[in-house]
Amino acid sequence: MSAAEIARTGVLVRIPSALRSYTRGQDEVVLDAPNLAGMLESLESSFPGIRHRVVDEAGRRRPFVNVFLNEELVMTAFPDVALKPGDIVHILPSVAGG
Amino acid sequence: MASAIKKGSVVVAVGTKKGGFLFHSPDRKKWSVAGPFMTGASVYHMVLDPRDGRTVYAAAPHFAEPWGPGVYRGRAGEQLKPTAAAPKFKEGSNLAVSRVWHVEPGPEDEPETVYAGVEPAALFRSADRGDTWQDIESLNYHSTRKDWQPGGGGLCLHSILVDPKKSKHLVIGISAVGAFESRDGGRSWTTENRGVRAGFMPNKYPEWGQCVHKLAWDASGDGSMFQQNHCGTYHRGPDGGSWTEVTKGLPSEFGFPIAAHPDRKNTAFVAPLIGAENRVFPKGQMAVWKTGNSGKTWRRVSKGLPGPNAYLGVLREGMSTDAEDPLGLYVGTNTGQLFASRDEGDSWKMIADFLPPILSVSGGMAR
Repeated sequence: MSAAEIARTGVLVRIPSALRSYTRGQDEVVLDAPNLAGMLESLESSFPGIRHRVVDEAGRRRPFVNVFLNEELVMTAFPDVALKPGDIVHILPSVAGG
Repeated sequence: MASAIKKGSVVVAVGTKKGGFLFHSPDRKKWSVAGPFMTGASVYHMVLDPRDGRTVYAAAPHFAEPWGPGVYRGRAGEQLKPTAAAPKFKEGSNLAVSRVWHVEPGPEDEPETVYAGVEPAALFRSADRGDTWQDIESLNYHSTRKDWQPGGGGLCLHSILVDPKKSKHLVIGISAVGAFESRDGGRSWTTENRGVRAGFMPNKYPEWGQCVHKLAWDASGDGSMFQQNHCGTYHRGPDGGSWTEVTKGLPSEFGFPIAAHPDRKNTAFVAPLIGAENRVFPKGQMAVWKTGNSGKTWRRVSKGLPGPNAYLGVLREGMSTDAEDPLGLYVGTNTGQLFASRDEGDSWKMIADFLPPILSVSGGMAR
């Protein structure tokens, strides 16, 4: 999907392979959401259970799960990270270990 | 590796630091292996459901780290898949499940019921084979919870006993909090630690705070139990009451697993290690100790087990039995060997080597 197409349709979320069992194999999902917290809610409503793989039930991001917005690592709280059509979000496991 | 599991075969489910395996044999002489399953994941526990002899449950992270805890389910010999949901604390609790330690099939008359013990310590119940989970609030938010302290492995609920005769009778063990018992299906709980020593506390016999390592029903069927603790080995008689320390006759008070004979009362097996400061078998000789009188006396059995110069250990889920006659016993080591006995522990044979460190062993029969 081109950047122009994404901009017309919404936010593009790239799904890691470990979570594609929730998305029925889809590696990309396009959705509308005002911020990253809303993006997780939107994913959850379409693919129940997926939100819990990124954040725990207390709402904390899981250790060693990284979220990138337009290739920048997100370090702030998800509700504070605004999204706009055309944004690309990557959910990725971090490199852990030595 | 894959091989069909024949009906009537003894199955030993083995959880390791890198995946799960099913060892199976029709005669307990020649063994085959199916797996690995859940590759790459630390499989803390894996069990063949004795109610149907076909379904396998496992406790493992969702597709390995870091995607959070998971419970897996599948047909014996086929790949296991995560259930629809993992156990979760209720909203607002500010608690989050980091790991599932143990999955326990429920009573015979509730074939869809499964229990899960997790870290931080809590008990969950599923009425649909693990797809949704009920937070057992009476235990998980117990009035003592704010003071619960973790053991060396974390604050984990690792032992779940479901009374085969009274399905509402449950006993659980938490490190380092102790044992709790419910006689009403988990609606209310009592601490069950009288007589159990907490050698690391100023008060050596507190109401709770003991470091239970593993619990097992005594085959008496009257609520009697065995316990391996950080501080000794114990037996509790029928209908509650105090535990009796039965460490005398063993080489140390420290060990992790305990397995009881499923049919012969007062009979259990332990694998004592040197101690908390050195978690390997004494004198470099792996050995299992057996009692037939509720721990009044113990007998060492080591024929076929490695040593001398074998410096290894067995973790809390590392020993199990089958239900054959004579009884089969299985022990997995933290150095990746699986040993089997088909004469009630009197002699042993290594049936697998070079596995990843073994976290759990559970015997059963395919049907």
